[in-house]
Amino acid sequence: MNGVIFTETLRRSWKQIVWWGGSMAVLGFYIAVVVPTMDTLKQYADLMASMPTAVFKLLGVNDAAAIATPEGFISFSYFGYALLILAVWAVWAGMNITANEEDEGILDVVLALPVPRWRVVVEKFAAYALIAVGIALISLPGLVLGLNNSALKISTPKLVASTVNLIPGLLLMLALTAFVGAWARRKSTALAVTSTIIVASYFADFIGRNGSGLLNDVLRALSFFSYYDSMGVMTNGLNGGNVLLLLLVAALLVVGSVWCFQRRDVGV
Amino acid sequence: MTANTAVIQIEQLSKTYQRSRKEQVDALKGLNLTIQQGEIFGYLGPNGAGKTTTIRLLLDLIRPTTGRALLFGEDARANSVALHRRIGFLPGELNLWKGYTGQQVLDYVGKLRGGVDAAYVRQLVDRLQFDPTLKVRTYSSGNKRKLGLVLALMNRADLLIMDEPTGGLDPLMQQIFNELMLDVKAEGRTVFLSSHVLSEVQAICDRVGILRGGELKAVESVSNLMHADFQWVTLHFREPVAANALAQVVGVSEVQALPDGLRLRLVGDFDPLLRALAPYYVTGMVTEEPTLEEVFLTYYSGTSGKEATR
Ligand SMILES: Nc1ncnc2c1ncn2[C@@H]1O[C@H](COP(=O)(O)OP(=O)(O)O)[C@@H](O)[C@H]1O
Ligand SMILES: [Mg+2]
Repeated sequence: MNGVIFTETLRRSWKQIVWWGGSMAVLGFYIAVVVPTMDTLKQYADLMASMPTAVFKLLGVNDAAAIATPEGFISFSYFGYALLILAVWAVWAGMNITANEEDEGILDVVLALPVPRWRVVVEKFAAYALIAVGIALISLPGLVLGLNNSALKISTPKLVASTVNLIPGLLLMLALTAFVGAWARRKSTALAVTSTIIVASYFADFIGRNGSGLLNDVLRALSFFSYYDSMGVMTNGLNGGNVLLLLLVAALLVVGSVWCFQRRDVGV
Repeated sequence: MTANTAVIQIEQLSKTYQRSRKEQVDALKGLNLTIQQGEIFGYLGPNGAGKTTTIRLLLDLIRPTTGRALLFGEDARANSVALHRRIGFLPGELNLWKGYTGQQVLDYVGKLRGGVDAAYVRQLVDRLQFDPTLKVRTYSSGNKRKLGLVLALMNRADLLIMDEPTGGLDPLMQQIFNELMLDVKAEGRTVFLSSHVLSEVQAICDRVGILRGGELKAVESVSNLMHADFQWVTLHFREPVAANALAQVVGVSEVQALPDGLRLRLVGDFDPLLRALAPYYVTGMVTEEPTLEEVFLTYYSGTSGKEATR
């Protein structure tokens, strides 16, 4: 029946919102309160400036002075890699869409029922997408609370925008994993391919930033982390174009998953 | 469904697996098979014969290389979702969500199917003496089989497809299983079950087919085969009797000496044998039906003497 897989997936996995969202909230709180005064940030920025440009660019900082601002610091030390941490969740969830149950032979039971294959993909994706939104939203209060007890002052709307900005990236990674899982028959292949793509994207964004020229532009254009752009969102607010692009690619990957999964032999 | 539409109609169905870039396996080769409503059909063959492959093709879990299968007159692939409403399936190896209890599995599958009669499910659970309160992870293979049977039977399917349902059943469960299948048949429903042991299914099957190396070697009704027809006769004597004393009797062959008697194969009537036994003091006589394996061998090797008259 319609919606049964969606509801069941939520029922089984809603606690992820608590664990992952809660952990991110604790991390955000900790990072915010650990800086006692604005002077600490200045020292931090000076330290950066004393390093060769290439080094701090590799750390994901375009401009050492940016770190001396509260916004720069939080986007560098929290949002800069929050998406990479949550990639672990996204890959776990994406593998649950088809790959894990196929690997365990459970899909034989499910697909022998009057359940179309596309429904498995779409309903599970929808459930995990909702959980992704939940994780992002639950992570926000920790940061807000932390900043209230910190020398750093950042307006809440900026934090909201940066947190919401996690969602398209999360959905993209979820859809990517779902797609690779639906395409590769083996769970281990799916896991390896997806992790490689995500880690490679992260570094492509790093390296791309660390210079100019065609190659760097291409690297950045290929990496979805560039469209996440935590620093840009913190200073200028959400970038509608980037958000739309990530969501569009995610949607295409979901369609691709359905297409792959619908056509092939299951469980061989 | 019109009265004469076959429940399963398989036409030139083949499946080739690509095991690696170079290696292919022809698991099923041009299968043709028709199964009528109300039949219990035994799909027999040794391991690797292609039984599971056939079943997975019928359920649209895998796609044929060539050919097609019609279920209730509709293409098994194009109409899979609608057809699955009418099918109950027991996989050869039942894999389920390990952290769920039996009851959670029943509830979830029931919801996925929709319209399952909860009272009937409870009835099945009771009849199989299945305890649904435990986690799937902790079930023994016997309990897992019971859960699988409830899952397969829960929707009162018009067609039951079961992959090796009798493997490893204890005698009591075997009996309950046989009863369940005969009930299904009595309601005019159809059963397609596979097995690699003929004796486990000969009691319930109307017809059996033998698959070997992806090819269907034979399809025959069980009653025909059982009348194929010979018996093993074991005779016990008070005094020793030489084997060759009975070797010339009409219908007797393969006489073997036992410590206190003879064992022989008898085709046709008993009378010639009984007359030949008159001079001897017979302390006991036991007759045994041949196993289906023996019957098949006889039937298709042409040594039964009956085949010539067919
Ligand atoms: N997924 C697969 N990939 C490659 N070969 C397979 C696959 N599944 C089954 N086979 C091969 O196909 C043949 C038939 O297998 P199967 O249908 O499982 O037989 P059975 O159920 O009668 O034991 C065997 O040789 C088996 O090794
Ligand atoms: Mg098998």
